[in-house]
Amino acid sequence: MKVNSVKLISALSVLASGVWLVGLWFTIKDQFFYEAARPVKEISLEDVAEEQKDGFQIVALGDSLTRGTGDESGKGYVGYVLDELKTKTKQTIYVKNLAIKGQKSAGLVSQLQQVEVQRQIKQADVILMTIGGNDLFQGGETLSHFSLERINQAKAKYLRNLHTIFKTIRNLNQDAVVFYVSLYNPFNDLADAKKTSAIVREWNFDSAEVAANYPKIIVVPTFDLFELNVKDYLYSDHFHPNKEGYKLIGERVASLITFAEGEKNHDE
Amino acid sequence: MINLIHNEMIKIVRKKRLLIIAAIIAVLVALFTYAQLKRVQSIQERLGTTDWRSQLQQQIIDTQNRLNSSGISEEWRKFLQIRLRQQQYYLDHNINPSAPGAPTFMRMFVENSIDLFIPLMVMVISADLVSSEASGGTIKLLLTRPVKRWRILLSKYLAMILAVSFILLSLGVISYLISGIVFGFGGWTLPLLTGFSVQGEELDTSNVHLIPQWKYLLMEFGLAWFVSIVVGTLTFMLSVLMRSTAAVMGIMLAALISGAILSSMVSSWESAKYLFMVNLRLTDYVSGMAPPIDGMTLGFSMTVLTVWGLAALIISFLVFTRRDVY
Repeated sequence: MKVNSVKLISALSVLASGVWLVGLWFTIKDQFFYEAARPVKEISLEDVAEEQKDGFQIVALGDSLTRGTGDESGKGYVGYVLDELKTKTKQTIYVKNLAIKGQKSAGLVSQLQQVEVQRQIKQADVILMTIGGNDLFQGGETLSHFSLERINQAKAKYLRNLHTIFKTIRNLNQDAVVFYVSLYNPFNDLADAKKTSAIVREWNFDSAEVAANYPKIIVVPTFDLFELNVKDYLYSDHFHPNKEGYKLIGERVASLITFAEGEKNHDE
Repeated sequence: MINLIHNEMIKIVRKKRLLIIAAIIAVLVALFTYAQLKRVQSIQERLGTTDWRSQLQQQIIDTQNRLNSSGISEEWRKFLQIRLRQQQYYLDHNINPSAPGAPTFMRMFVENSIDLFIPLMVMVISADLVSSEASGGTIKLLLTRPVKRWRILLSKYLAMILAVSFILLSLGVISYLISGIVFGFGGWTLPLLTGFSVQGEELDTSNVHLIPQWKYLLMEFGLAWFVSIVVGTLTFMLSVLMRSTAAVMGIMLAALISGAILSSMVSSWESAKYLFMVNLRLTDYVSGMAPPIDGMTLGFSMTVLTVWGLAALIISFLVFTRRDVY
């Protein structure tokens, strides 16, 4: 009995040694002597676009504001929008948050070229986005080296990118309502608040002008939300909103979505 | 010779270590299967979708956000960057790198256990092959037989190789069976990408090609076997040199654990790449992870390991055949 089990184990071991040797040989052949054969095919949007879609799809795009930086619960305004909407509809809501901290408009333009991002936008019912904050403030640099010329340069570039962004989204998806959340002035309790506020107002106005060229793009203002008591609504970095600040934005956006959803149902 | 090896196999099997190792593997696999199941569930819950493309896209976004955070270490940034490029490549080519299934689980298990867990199991077998005979005094009986010393040692060494093969076989079979109950037994023919090469922070994709998962697995097990043989040989040498099995285990354990720690912090100490213990993660070259030190390749690591293994083997035989036994 004992001897038999030894024989069995030995036989299995010899067999296994052979198998692992073959594996090692495969590795050497594959990793060292691989000759570039047919390249692996990249997918295109057509390959993956036609897939089942269920529930109410929200896609969030943009920068740290959409990501929720500064909200210790990590929700951000997107999370509060979701909370609000859940009380209003029985549909299952899916949120895909594709926002990246520190992203500028140019970054979003290239992100929109990715096939998977395009697929998700194509399926979206609602698109939430913030962009431009990093183009304008550049991490506070704009304020410390204040120069109108530089700001105007940055703005011209940003507005061109914004055109591309809206055009790309509209080409992919004609029906989804886009909520473009515009900028507030995080510095309006500082010394040169008048100057900075004027710049942000103008920035928002020009962005709204771009948005007006495309159907169903709603510019959601936040400037007023942070005008009084700005300190109470900002995170300790004095730039991003805190939990309360995000709640304000979230509630405002959520109230608009109900309206949009109702309108859509009315159309059908 | 076959009789000698058979004799050694009887000793190994009688000690019941193989059974214990199989039991340890079974417990760990059950644990990891459960952890993996929880992870899959939590991702699904968070994203509300089972669509792998959305999940992979979300992982990419999460990584990008982490990369943009301040205060992450240079090594970690590089690691994330490489992984990011790779995930994007998988996504762009419509291939799911972690489709659920027992083979996928096996692949992850081997990749994560090649540098510590598998060597530890190998060590359990090979640490006392010679030293226990020395400390127990049975070595005298063994050497009084009319067989040349080198043949005795060779039979022990070959028995060790057989035991290593058996350990890997049981690792494969046990992890397949247990994880298969939860994730399903299919997925052998799924395509996977290999041939990524890492240059600094860049991921070179010019040699990337598709291979089916069964081949990928076979390759990774082959590499794990190679690593095990080298670790086994080193342990074997210590076992020849020292009478105390505990000392053998202690030294090997220290070396293996230091390797795991060093791998995460040696990127600026370049000559560390000649140490055997930072070269154990051979499967990373197949899957395309960044090596611990720039410029390390599969060929380099295999050469380093071979040199260490051969040196250990030569020392073992020289010492064993010339030593006075009393």
